[in-house]
Amino acid sequence: MVLENPYPPYLEWLFSAGYNPGAFWIWLLTMTGVIVFGLLVSWILSSVRYGPMKAGDLIFKALVNLTDDLAHTSPRRVFALSRLAVQESIRRRVIAAFIVFVVILLFAGWFLNPGKTDPAELYLSFVLTATSYLILLMALILSAFSLPADIQNRTIHTIVTKPVRTTEIILGRTLGFAAVGTGLLLVMGVFSYGFVVRTLDHTHELSEDDLDPRSAGPGGVARPGKEGQTTVTREHRHQVVLDENGHGISEPAQGHVHEVTAVTRDGKTEYRVGPAANQFKARVPVYGKLSFLDRSGRPAEKGINVGNEWLYRSYIEGGTPAAAIWRFSGVRPDDFPDGINLDMTIRVFRTYKGDVEKGISGSITLRNPKNPKVKYLLRNFVAKEFAIDRHKIPLKFKDKGAEVDLFRDVVSDDGELDVEIGCLERAQFFGVAKPDVYLFKREGTPWINFAKGYVAIWLQMVLITAVGVTWSTFLNGPVSMLATIATMVGGYFREFLDELGRGIALGGGPMESLYRILTQNNLTSELERSITTVVLLWSDKLLFRGPLYIAAHTLPDLESLSDVNYVAKGYNIPLDVLTIHVTMAVGYFIPVMILGFLFFKMREVAK
Amino acid sequence: MNRSSFVRKLVYIVIIALLLVPLSIYSQPSVVGANNEVSEGGKLAQLRKEYQISESSLGEIDPTGETIKLATLGLRGVAANLLWHKAEQAKMKEDWDGLQATLDQITKLEPHFITVWRYQAWNVSYNISVEWDDYHDRYFWVKEGIKFLLRGFRYNDHEPRVLYDVGWTTGQKMGTADEKVQYRRLFREDDDEEFPDHRLRPQNRRDNWLVGQEYFEKAIHLVEDRGASIRRQNPLVFFSEPAMCQIDYAIALAEDGIFEEKGKVAWTDADGYWTRFGQRSIPTTFGIEIRLSEYEPLMEQVTAVAKKLDDIEPDLRQKIIEERRAKLTQDERDAMDVPQQKRTPEQMRVAFEAQIRLNVSMKELADRVGQARREEAQKLVEDAVKLQERANIIGRERDVVNFKYWRMRCQLEKTDPALNARRLIYEADELYKLTQLPEARRTYEEAFANWRKVVDQFPEMADDAIGGTSIEDAIRGYFDVLKQLDEPSFPKDFALMDVARNMMIRNAIPIPPEFMETIGQQPAGQPAVDENGEGEKGAGANAEGETQPVPEEKTDEEKAGDASTESDKPAEAPAKESDPPADAK
Repeated sequence: MVLENPYPPYLEWLFSAGYNPGAFWIWLLTMTGVIVFGLLVSWILSSVRYGPMKAGDLIFKALVNLTDDLAHTSPRRVFALSRLAVQESIRRRVIAAFIVFVVILLFAGWFLNPGKTDPAELYLSFVLTATSYLILLMALILSAFSLPADIQNRTIHTIVTKPVRTTEIILGRTLGFAAVGTGLLLVMGVFSYGFVVRTLDHTHELSEDDLDPRSAGPGGVARPGKEGQTTVTREHRHQVVLDENGHGISEPAQGHVHEVTAVTRDGKTEYRVGPAANQFKARVPVYGKLSFLDRSGRPAEKGINVGNEWLYRSYIEGGTPAAAIWRFSGVRPDDFPDGINLDMTIRVFRTYKGDVEKGISGSITLRNPKNPKVKYLLRNFVAKEFAIDRHKIPLKFKDKGAEVDLFRDVVSDDGELDVEIGCLERAQFFGVAKPDVYLFKREGTPWINFAKGYVAIWLQMVLITAVGVTWSTFLNGPVSMLATIATMVGGYFREFLDELGRGIALGGGPMESLYRILTQNNLTSELERSITTVVLLWSDKLLFRGPLYIAAHTLPDLESLSDVNYVAKGYNIPLDVLTIHVTMAVGYFIPVMILGFLFFKMREVAK
Repeated sequence: MNRSSFVRKLVYIVIIALLLVPLSIYSQPSVVGANNEVSEGGKLAQLRKEYQISESSLGEIDPTGETIKLATLGLRGVAANLLWHKAEQAKMKEDWDGLQATLDQITKLEPHFITVWRYQAWNVSYNISVEWDDYHDRYFWVKEGIKFLLRGFRYNDHEPRVLYDVGWTTGQKMGTADEKVQYRRLFREDDDEEFPDHRLRPQNRRDNWLVGQEYFEKAIHLVEDRGASIRRQNPLVFFSEPAMCQIDYAIALAEDGIFEEKGKVAWTDADGYWTRFGQRSIPTTFGIEIRLSEYEPLMEQVTAVAKKLDDIEPDLRQKIIEERRAKLTQDERDAMDVPQQKRTPEQMRVAFEAQIRLNVSMKELADRVGQARREEAQKLVEDAVKLQERANIIGRERDVVNFKYWRMRCQLEKTDPALNARRLIYEADELYKLTQLPEARRTYEEAFANWRKVVDQFPEMADDAIGGTSIEDAIRGYFDVLKQLDEPSFPKDFALMDVARNMMIRNAIPIPPEFMETIGQQPAGQPAVDENGEGEKGAGANAEGETQPVPEEKTDEEKAGDASTESDKPAEAPAKESDPPADAK
């Protein structure tokens, strides 16, 4: 699985991660900065109107008021207001979103081709994406229009005249809408899982005519049993090898296998092909830290760039001491009682064709990090691309005639293990990234993993609801909807906004891009120097970069909150990732809510 | 105020209602009546029918695509653009399943946008296939590209370009890639149900070149029988493909070690295909239709006309040349007196320019004919110019597909000596691989003796770089065998010494000192190497028509070329084809 920005363990991420000082400190710093900046701007603006002393007094009072509101927020009143929000949502026919979802599922089969190499991935990513779009759309509409409609109809007075605090109104609405979304998500989740399982469920037929006696083995030794292939269902078939009892597991195709059993009826043998197995996966991997050795065997930060546009993988040169080394931590005998399964996906880059019929060979060497000079050659292998190539590291194996005990000799006492991969063929290269090699710990439960994927969608929904409610405290319905859409879009393209803000995006900022479009210049061509281009480039620098940079770093990072990739590719969503996402969402939710209280307080209606 | 607003709205409604009337007439659909009478429908329906752009006339209708198109609420262009970007991202990030799914979505949105089908099929077959290291995977992706095109054809069944691409990818990609041996084998063994018709083909038709040919022919059938357009594609290339596939098939058979009857039949068929291609009427950008095989008869006519002109006053041409020769400067005369192979570059230039001045065009000749027959002569020039212009166009068009070369190749390869030579070379290569050197040497020599017969029969092939490649490879193999047998040089009676010598001059094989002597002992008629080893360049230049043929030796064809009113051109230029005429050598 491709993980372009893998997360470190939770605590490391929160407080310190290498050169990164830790998410919590950055958050704290940003919050302090924003508060100080906000207070300063408020004071300056108020000073102009009321004079500096009075302005200071007003700001102080507002802060006291807010603190008082926050301190005296009553969960009971918040609950009551949430219930109102739920009732309002039902009145506004929120069920329509669910109906649309069901319609999409009904016709999804039209658009999805089950003949792909891994249909489960396609179907899972489809249902998760469709669910998140729909639920976010629902959250957006509910949250953006609710308060403005109440204010416009003056029904808000029926609430604000009651003994409730501003914080309670905002929090109550947000939580109420979030509760509606949660309910909908639950139903959608159950339907989605049912849809995927039911749609991909299939079997094949296998008859005596499809089978032949097994071909002879190495050295012409006859082998018992039969071999053949099943019929085609869902655009694929399986090769099967059956033992003398007619039993066997089919070869994998489209990411699953079938069990085949023979049944004798009326003297005739019939073969029963079972349902698709291993279709849905939730592999629990143990990822390591990747480092490199260069062609002279010296430690290097990265491998070689072979000229790919995508710099995800680094390459190591074959026939030299260059190697990629993964250091795995927490390798305990209890987790691997039968030895370790090492899963690999290695890319190959050939500088010359060589023998087309043969793959490129490499070697797997194991090392104890505490005694790195002693290496144990596990085996040589031929690289398999874009597929998981599993190698078993047995508990005991032989190296140079001597028996090696995995947990005694290779894994260090504190549970660390180095796995070194090298390419054996001169002038050929292996490409690797950190997640390309991992220790397979166990198979998780697919439906739980699916549910975890929904938690990520839920977090996005709650955030959008909070943002929508906040915008709606001072904007009218359509405008707050547009503002929320802009927040969402910005949240999904945060990385791009960051590139624009830092001036490193290909094609330049908005003005330069516009100029390139109008003059039909491509993204990378050098712009001629003229007054127009100089003015445009400077306007990009002065007008856009700052705001875009701030936007990129204040918008919710919705893209990284999504865990569709994990679920679709069949990997367990690690608890660390989930807690990081929850923390990120909470970290964003708090300031957004506070902003909402402040904005709503400023409005006449709430006073 | 309220009343005027109401009236205004009423007026709007009436105008809208009135506008709906012509709109409805304009857009009436074509319907089938009770007696199967088909009404023409409104203007829009008629235009759709005329330009064949209604959904039903474009190909199969895909309900999914139609639904998606509706669902995008007219923003399908935007959606397709976004998806295109997504596909590019998926390709960059090596997410092949994601890429395939996105391509499916794009084609559902834009099923009749041919470029999408063609570009992305090429992308899949050529760019994505090579991202994989295992040739089985590569083959899978090449085939995915072909399947993608075939799906595209279902929705655009009047588009010959899609079928052309199927033929191209099946033939060229599978037949010329580095993995062609593996691809061709996998293609023969392929039982993929998704690959239409492939399983139904008899085993002897399961060759990528023959299947490619099948699709090219289907594409031609669409153009010829259904009036489909090939848009801006070059018709010459388009119509030549079935024949080229047959030729490539025959070549591939030889590479696979299949000779004898099957090889002979393949080359005989190739000759038939190429001959038919030469006889096909093909439109040109000059606004006329031509037949490539017309060239020789046209040139014969030009020669006949030129001869008629010369016959009016037989000594006139020579007289004009003498007059002009007298006007040459001393330097020019000196340069022309130096034998061609001994001229310095400066002398070559001077002699060449002088020669141009000595050339007498037909028009110049006609203008000097006596008054009594001048009109007749000028009429002849006019005829010759017309014939020559047509021949020139055909000559240029023939160059596009290397017509003359392939015609000759088809003719020679089907001969027994050529088939024998190819078979023996294959056997010798195999023996060499098995290090059975004396046997390999003997077999090579037998092969070269056969090829000598071919070269003697078709002398133009001797210097040919393309057809000779395999022969040159064999000579290189033979050269290596000799080296390993400690033979100092090619034997004196080496049948292809002229070809080997050319290879040495081009550094295609090394020239050990002892070989220089061998090279020097060439049969008469072969130019010797000068002290700089550049004699062949001179000979090559000769073939290209850059040096002087003496006026008396000019062929009729060249003379006819002079008929061109652009008399400042070298005489040979108009008649030039990709292969220099034999008489120019």
